[in-house]
Amino acid sequence: MTYKVTTESGFSIVHLTGDIDLSCSPEARKAILDRLAASQHTLVDLSGVTYIDSSGIASLVEGYQTARKKNLQFGLIAVSEPALSVLELARLDKVFPIHASVADRAK
Amino acid sequence: MSTPAAPLPPDPYGFSDGELAAMLAELAQDFASSLNVEETLQHAVDQIITHLHAEAASIFLLDETRRALVCRKCAGPVDITGLRLHPDEGIVGDSVRSGRVQIVRDVSQNPSFAAGVDQDTGFITRSILCAPLAVRGETIGALELINKRSGDGLFAGADIHLATTVAAAAALAIHNARMAEALVEQERVRKELELAREIQLSLLPTDAASDLPIRGINLPAREVSGDFYDYFRLPDGRLYFSIADVSGKGMNAALLMAKTTSLLRCLAKTTPDPGELLSRVNDEICETASMGMFVTIVTGFVEPRTRRILLSNGGHLPPLMRARDGSYTDLPPQMPPLGILPGLAYPTDTLVLDGGCVYLFTDGLTESLDSDSKQLGLAGVKRLLDSAAGTSPDTRLQTIVTELEAVSRRFNDDITMLLIELGEPVLLLQIAADPRELAQVRTAVQEAAELEGCGQKCVADIVMAVNEACMNIIQHAYKGDVSGLIEIEMRREADALEIVLRDFAPPVDPGGIKPRPLEELRPGGLGTFFIRETMDDCRYGNLCGRDGNFLRMTKKIT
Repeated sequence: MTYKVTTESGFSIVHLTGDIDLSCSPEARKAILDRLAASQHTLVDLSGVTYIDSSGIASLVEGYQTARKKNLQFGLIAVSEPALSVLELARLDKVFPIHASVADRAK
Repeated sequence: MSTPAAPLPPDPYGFSDGELAAMLAELAQDFASSLNVEETLQHAVDQIITHLHAEAASIFLLDETRRALVCRKCAGPVDITGLRLHPDEGIVGDSVRSGRVQIVRDVSQNPSFAAGVDQDTGFITRSILCAPLAVRGETIGALELINKRSGDGLFAGADIHLATTVAAAAALAIHNARMAEALVEQERVRKELELAREIQLSLLPTDAASDLPIRGINLPAREVSGDFYDYFRLPDGRLYFSIADVSGKGMNAALLMAKTTSLLRCLAKTTPDPGELLSRVNDEICETASMGMFVTIVTGFVEPRTRRILLSNGGHLPPLMRARDGSYTDLPPQMPPLGILPGLAYPTDTLVLDGGCVYLFTDGLTESLDSDSKQLGLAGVKRLLDSAAGTSPDTRLQTIVTELEAVSRRFNDDITMLLIELGEPVLLLQIAADPRELAQVRTAVQEAAELEGCGQKCVADIVMAVNEACMNIIQHAYKGDVSGLIEIEMRREADALEIVLRDFAPPVDPGGIKPRPLEELRPGGLGTFFIRETMDDCRYGNLCGRDGNFLRMTKKIT
């Protein structure tokens, strides 16, 4: 997995790429929580995710809950097919705000 | 016979009809209130001497062999309880044999009187009235009254009717009490069989908690039989198994079964040769088992690495090996059952499992009836196995059970089967319990699943389940210790893939592994839910014979 952070339309965007499994999900989790700790509205870009396991999903859930506590906005954008099927399996596709792009979210 | 010499003088009791009826009613009620034979008899004699003004009364019953009349209870000055008479002996004998009331007003005139008792006790018998105790036409004994306490001291005409009536009520009471005791006995026997059955069941391995390539079933018959099977893994990876039928039924059979299976379990850990194992257990059983009890048995070891099965057969039905091409090899017993002759050297046979499987069973299966009410026999069993071929081991055993149940709703005997099958692994992988190994696992599992013909969604499900299972082991079984090992084994079972993961961490309680409720939105705990959601079947258990846990998952290939 690799990740980078960009800024667009008032959001911090964490771009995750590759397989997100137990070997790297702590890193992804830290990247997301760091943005929220800095009081940034945060979106996670999952377009480059080829695989995500339950520990990766757990990082997203933790991000979502932290954001709510701090009254920050949180959402997923450009969710790849493999990531979406796991979110659906966990019934989380209805919980997370999911948008096609940052522009779509910003509307 | 005992025909009185002179006509009987009338001897009115002075009872009115009403008083008589009340007395009989009281007696009958008293009888009816007791369901204990001894108590009932004592009540009867006590009541009778009071109401019939007799000096002594006794009840003689035929014993079980009907070859002796035994005094079971008496009331009066001399205790003759336990006195045994020949069924033809004395006035009592006359009464029982003829089924009629006998009256001897003056005993000294009667040749039937057995004078021995008076001579032994000093009691003077002057007059005897004896009424048969009969229920539904069958005489079970007699009520004997000695010496009347009123009037001239001799029994007379009116006493006959009274004695007959009281005897009829007493006979019915005895009969009822006996029936009640028989019911209690039946219940006791039933309880014993139930207990024996519980012992039997407690000795069977639980299939739900097995990752071994051995499956067993035991279908109980109405009565407890002595079937058992057992299997477990030895620390060196070999698998021990046995199937046996103990002669006899009930508690004795259950106890011999418990003993045999314990001896085998214990000795199998140090005796690698099944022939030697049977020889040693045979000597032990010969020394201590009750006469006439024996055990037919096949016991052996599976060596997964060499795909060999070493086994020894003591008087049991031949194990059937069904080869990949559908042909059968059977190994008939060369030695008698265990427990018959000490000092025998049981031989060891070897089978090589080259893609086939081995069925072991008890005679409950071969003696099952087919649709023409003929016993299946070995040929019928082979037909049954052929019809079930080509499916997974669990499905095959289930198919056989269903077939048998369709024909006979209830089995005459226990049906017990063992199935040993070493499926060809499509993937065998050992990794360190390290998250960095997971990518490699996913690639290997994906390739294996694709090769077996799984579609894209099916492959993704299997990859996810194996990945999540490995994560659970890394995090929860080894608790992050990356020096631990994980074994991943995938086998093709007909139209499904069976995936077994093993770890060698301290045992985890399988009941404690639960998916978390989804509505509870929190990180973590999703893995088990994912596995249950995507796999057709998954079972957790502890490895036998060593520390460790397993997860067996099945996924239909789609």
